[in-house]
Amino acid sequence: MGTTTTTSAVYIHVIEDVVNKVREEFINNGGPGESVLSELQGIWETKMMQAGVLNGPIERSSAQKPTPGGPLTHDLNVPYEGTEEYETPTAEMLFPPTPLQTPLPTPLPGTADNSSMYNIPTGSSDYTTPGTENGVNLDVKGRPSPYMPPPSPWANPRLDVNVAYVDGRDEPERGNSNQQFTQDLFVPSSGKRKRDDSSGHYQNGGSIPQQDGASDTIPKANFECYALRITSVGDRKVPRDFFCSSSKIPQVDGPMPDPYDEMLSTPNIYSYQGPSEDFNEARTPAPNEIQTSTPVTVQNNIVEDDEELLNEDDDDDELDDLESGEDMNTQHLVLAQFDKVTRTKSRWKCNLKDGIMHINDKDILFNKATGEFDF
Amino acid sequence: MATFELYRRSTIGMCLTETLDEMVQSGTLSPELAIQVLVQFDKSMTEALESQVKTKVSIKGHLHTYRFCDNVWTFILQDAMFKSDDRQENVSRVKIVACDSKLLTQ
Repeated sequence: MGTTTTTSAVYIHVIEDVVNKVREEFINNGGPGESVLSELQGIWETKMMQAGVLNGPIERSSAQKPTPGGPLTHDLNVPYEGTEEYETPTAEMLFPPTPLQTPLPTPLPGTADNSSMYNIPTGSSDYTTPGTENGVNLDVKGRPSPYMPPPSPWANPRLDVNVAYVDGRDEPERGNSNQQFTQDLFVPSSGKRKRDDSSGHYQNGGSIPQQDGASDTIPKANFECYALRITSVGDRKVPRDFFCSSSKIPQVDGPMPDPYDEMLSTPNIYSYQGPSEDFNEARTPAPNEIQTSTPVTVQNNIVEDDEELLNEDDDDDELDDLESGEDMNTQHLVLAQFDKVTRTKSRWKCNLKDGIMHINDKDILFNKATGEFDF
Repeated sequence: MATFELYRRSTIGMCLTETLDEMVQSGTLSPELAIQVLVQFDKSMTEALESQVKTKVSIKGHLHTYRFCDNVWTFILQDAMFKSDDRQENVSRVKIVACDSKLLTQ
C-alpha cells in the first residue's frame, strides 16, 4: 500500500469494494442487475464529488457511464456527460432548454390572464409560451427571469406612505404627520379626513386598507379626548408637543406601535389612549383610563407577539446552534472507535482508532488518535 | 456479524445513504437490497480504515460535554486542536462519537 494514501483514494477503494461485494446480490436471485449497480456507483461517486471529498477523475478499469437514472433526477445527479472531468453543472446541464422537464412549483392558474397583465410572469411562462422565443423572459426554466412584472396593483407606489398611522417608519414621514396632526388636533372629531391628500385610497368607513404595510388604518377613531398634550407615546415618555396620542400619530419609534394603532383603528374604541400603562403624564380624560385598561393589556399582548417575533435573538444562539446542529449537518464531527477512555479529576484521556474526521470542510482519516481533554 | 453503523454518518456514508434513498424512492432498488448495501459499506469502511490508513492524530481541547450510553462515548469539545503528521486543524466546536472497539471483535 502506498504511504501516501489520500482520503480520496481510500474512498474510491471503499466504493469499489462495496460495489464488488454486492454485485453478487444485484445479479443473482433476481436482483436489479448490473446496470442498477452501475447507476448506484455513479450517483454515489457524483455526490461525493459534489461534496468535495472525492477527486476526479476516477481511475479504474471500468469506464463510468452516465446512466439515465430517474426521469426527474436525470440531469441533477448524473453528470451531463462522461465524467472525464467533473465540472459544476452548467445551466444547460441542469435545466435543459426544452421547457418540459423542469417541474415548476406552482403553475399559476389562469396564466393567460396573468400574461396579459404582466407579459408572462416568471413562473408560468412555460405554460403560455414555449419560452424560447421570448428570449429575455425565459432564459432558463426554474430561474428567475430578468423580466420583472410590474408591482401588483395592491402595492401601488402612488400611495403616499405618509398616511400617518404608520409605524413611524421614516422620520420625515413622521415629521409630516406631525404637522398634519397639529392641524387635526383642533378640529372636532369624527372622521378626520384630512388625509385625503396623503392617501389616495382613503375611504369612508372605519377600516382603510393598509397600503404601506403597517397595521394602521385611518384614524377613524373619534377624538373625544382633546388632550393635546399627551406626552408619552407608546412605551416612551418622550414629551411631544402637539403630539396627540390619537391614532393619527404614528409615534412608532419604539417597539410598541402596533397595539396602539390597532386599538385606534377599531371604530368601537372611543377613547383613544396610549397603549402602555406607563403613559399617563397629562391625560385629561380620566374615565378613559379606566375604560381602556383592559384593551390596553390585550393590545399589549398582541404587541408582545409581534415583539417575540422580533426578539428571536433572546436565546443563547451559541448554545442553541450547538444543540440543533447536532442532529443536522454538524459542522465538525469525528466518528471513531475507542479503545480506552479514562479520567483523572477533570482530565480526560482517550485512545481512539479507525476514525473519520470531518473538520473545517475536510475529511481526514486516522488509524489512531489520542485525546486529552480538560473538563 | 454486527457492524458499526456509525460510519454511515460520515460524508461517504451520507452520500451512499442518499443515493440508496433516491433509488428506493424511484423503485429502482428494493429496500432490502439497500440495507444490504449499507451493511456491506459498514464492513468495507471499517476494514479500509484498519488497513489503508496509517495516520495518527492527537486531539486536545476543552471538554464541554461527555456522554456514555449504550457503549458509545460522545464528546463535545470546544476550541479543539487536531494535530497530525503534517497538518494541524483548529475548530471551535467538534463532536466526537466513538463506539467500543471491543464489540466488533467479539
